[in-house]
Parts: sequence; C-alpha cells; structure tokens
Amino acid sequence: MEYIQIANSTPMWIAVGVAIALVMFQALIFARKSYNTGKTIGMTDTQMKSAMKSAMITSVGPSLVILTGLLSLLVTVGGPMAWMRLSFIGSVMFELMAVGFGAEAVGVNLGAGDAMTQVAFASAVWTMILGSIGWIVFSTLTADKMASVQDRFLKGDTSLLKIIPVAAMLGSFGSLVSGHLVALNKNTVAAISGGLIMAIVVQLAEKKELKWLKEWGLAIALFGGMIVAAIL
Amino acid sequence: MSDKRRVYEKDYLPYIVRYGKATGWLAVALSFGPAVVLAVIYGVLPPSAAVFAAFIAMASAVGINWFVEPISYFPIIGVAGTYLAFISGNISNLRIPAAAIAQKVAGVEPGTTEGNIVATLGMAVSVVINIAILTIGVFAGNSILVRLPEHILEAFDYLLPALFGAIFVQFALMRLKLAPIALGIALSLTLAVNAGWFNFLPGRPTYLITLGAVFGTIAIATSMHKREARRD
Repeated sequence: MEYIQIANSTPMWIAVGVAIALVMFQALIFARKSYNTGKTIGMTDTQMKSAMKSAMITSVGPSLVILTGLLSLLVTVGGPMAWMRLSFIGSVMFELMAVGFGAEAVGVNLGAGDAMTQVAFASAVWTMILGSIGWIVFSTLTADKMASVQDRFLKGDTSLLKIIPVAAMLGSFGSLVSGHLVALNKNTVAAISGGLIMAIVVQLAEKKELKWLKEWGLAIALFGGMIVAAIL
Repeated sequence: MSDKRRVYEKDYLPYIVRYGKATGWLAVALSFGPAVVLAVIYGVLPPSAAVFAAFIAMASAVGINWFVEPISYFPIIGVAGTYLAFISGNISNLRIPAAAIAQKVAGVEPGTTEGNIVATLGMAVSVVINIAILTIGVFAGNSILVRLPEHILEAFDYLLPALFGAIFVQFALMRLKLAPIALGIALSLTLAVNAGWFNFLPGRPTYLITLGAVFGTIAIATSMHKREARRD
C-alpha cells in the first residue's frame, strides 16, 4: 500500500478527529466558565458579546494564513495529519521541519527528491508528535505555579499587575516586529503600514465612539497593511 | 481582597486549573493517536533509533522554545491562557491578537480580573474559529487553494508582519513612554543576533530577542513605576 493511502485512511481521520475535539472541548468549557464568571463579577452581556464578536472577526485573517500553510503540509503528510498538526501547538514551519528530520532519520531525503515511504511517514508522524508535546507538558506542569512565582515577584504591589502584561506585550511584539523592520523588504512595509493604520483606526474609533470600528480595527489594520505591501 | 478578586481566585482559577491540567494531559495522550493507529492497525513502526535521532534534531532546533515560550508569554496570557494556547498553538499570530482586541472592545485593562477573563474568552473564541476554518479548509480547501491566483497566496505572506506591527502599536498607544524602550531593546538584540554576536549559543538564538525584550521591558517598566510611586 502507498503511504498516502494510509495517511488519508479512515482510522487516521478518527484518531486526529478525537484529538481536535479535545482542543475544541477545552475552548468551549473555558469560554463558558469565563462568560459566567464575567457576569458574576458584574460585566454586561453586551460587553462580553462584543468582545467575542471582535475576537471572531480578528481570528479570520490569521486563520486564512494558517490555512494556506495547510496546503504545503497536506501534500506530504495527507489530510488528517495536516489538519491535526495545525489545530494543535506547532506551526507550518515547525511541522515541515519535523517531517524532514523524521524522514531523514530513516534515510529518506525529501529535499533531494526521495519518495516518502510508509516507515518514513511513520517516523515523521512520531517526530511531529514528540517535537511538540514539550510545550504541552511544560505548560501543563507549570501554569499554576507560574502564577505564584508572579505573585512573589509582585510582593503585594497589585498596581504592577496592570503594567507587567503591557510591558510583556510590548517586549514580545517588539521582538516579533523588529525582525521584519530590519529586513528592509516588503515585510517592513507591511509591518509599518499595519502599525500606522492601527494608530489611525484606534484614535478614530475612540474619538468618535465607533463601536464597530473598534471591533473591526485589527482586521482592517492587518488586511490594510497586507494590501499596501502587496501593491507597492 | 475585593469580591471580584475572591470570585476569580477561589472559584474561577481552581476550575481552570483542574480542567486545564486534565485537558493538557489528555492532549499529550491523544497526540499519539495517529502513531498508535499506524502501529496497531497498519503495523508500521519506525525503528526507535531513528525516532530518537529525529527527536534529538528537533530538540536542538526548537527545544529551548518549549520552556522560553510558556515563560515569556505567561505575563500576557495568564493561567487560563497558558493552558489554552499551549495546546492549540498559534499564540503570537492568533491567540494574543484575539485576546487583545477582546479586552480593548470590552473596555477592560490587561492584568485586571476582568482583563484576564475577557482575554480567555477571546482566545477560546479564536480556537473555535480557527478549527472551524481549518476543518472547512482540509475538506474543501485543497481544491479552493490550488485555484487561488499565485499573487493572492503571496500577499498572505505580508499579513503576519502587518499584524505584528498593528498589535505593537495598539499597546504602544497605552504606554507611550515604554514603547520606544521595548522596540529599542528588541531592535538592538535583533541586529546583534543577525550580526552573529551570539553564534556560540546552540541553534539560531532568536529566543534571546524575545527573552531579552520581554524581561528587559518588564524590568524597566517596574523600576519606572516604582520611581513614579515614590515621587507621588
């Protein structure tokens, strides 16, 4: 049997379907608990529905980017693995690298045009899994403990609680954007125009109290920046 | 402790930690589903030496991120976000943007009780949307994607830089004094890494940029805040 027939077989679809259902389940119970707790502490339905709507709008663009990555993965590892690996932790780059390493470990060099075999495919699957559970294991072990580390760092100064997340955001997105800024190519154009459009949109939405513009703001900035870079 | 804080710490967090841990460990187990299907149903098992070699290759390429990412994203996404984002992945390009826009639209500040709850709500929504789009994509997508003109697929490359620029600006507008500092640290570390100053470290040490920018900005923000508090 060709490896791709196994890769696209019903048992594979079932195995990955169960795993993806778990991710979905976790998101749903976290959303329900957050919504109910939000109401308990006095947030309004409008506030939270509007937050959910804007998260929904904002998620579409990046999800489409992930979807285009699915295509490159689909041809090498089949539908089920591509579907699962991009719904779980990981990224297209990471998965392609894992496939490469996994196949190479059994002597199949995909980059040099070797054909994928059953064993090479299985080795790639194992590599993708083992390469990514590190994130899940470490974060599952430490999430609640990191909260107490943070509390100890704050030493009861809760005013810092409002400053640290913003500082961390600026640091991490500063480092994500700086790679594109120093590249001095179309990515640089996209990053700068995305930022400028966001600045305009945020100011406008706040001055004129435009709720729809707040909800669509990020989507406008990211597609706007993308279009500017593509056209220039 | 305020009533809100009590609800958050005595009811919300324990629930999140209990289900977060359960779903985290279950996710680790279910990750292996496809590998088990290959071994049990199709009798395809790669040699363990090959899997080990491929795992070592992956660990040296990305292993540091298993630890660095959960730690450096924690101040932004908190306990619930950590459980959620390190199963579902796509943190900087999807989860955090969804959380940030949800907070902005709901009018709540990062780091507050409301802020944490709304961020979790936003991230959970993004998981549902992301999986929905990937699911449609994997079943219908192959035929849609191959029909998309090349220049549209290319334009998608610019969406992420635009997103990073926009998110950075959204938070820069909240802390105008801190933003140039964060960007300054990130840019100089990026240039230093690109110039090969840190080549003695294993892998391509881009994690240094994130670590340095996140914790450097937190440290500077904390000392700025303390100085201001003393002056008042």
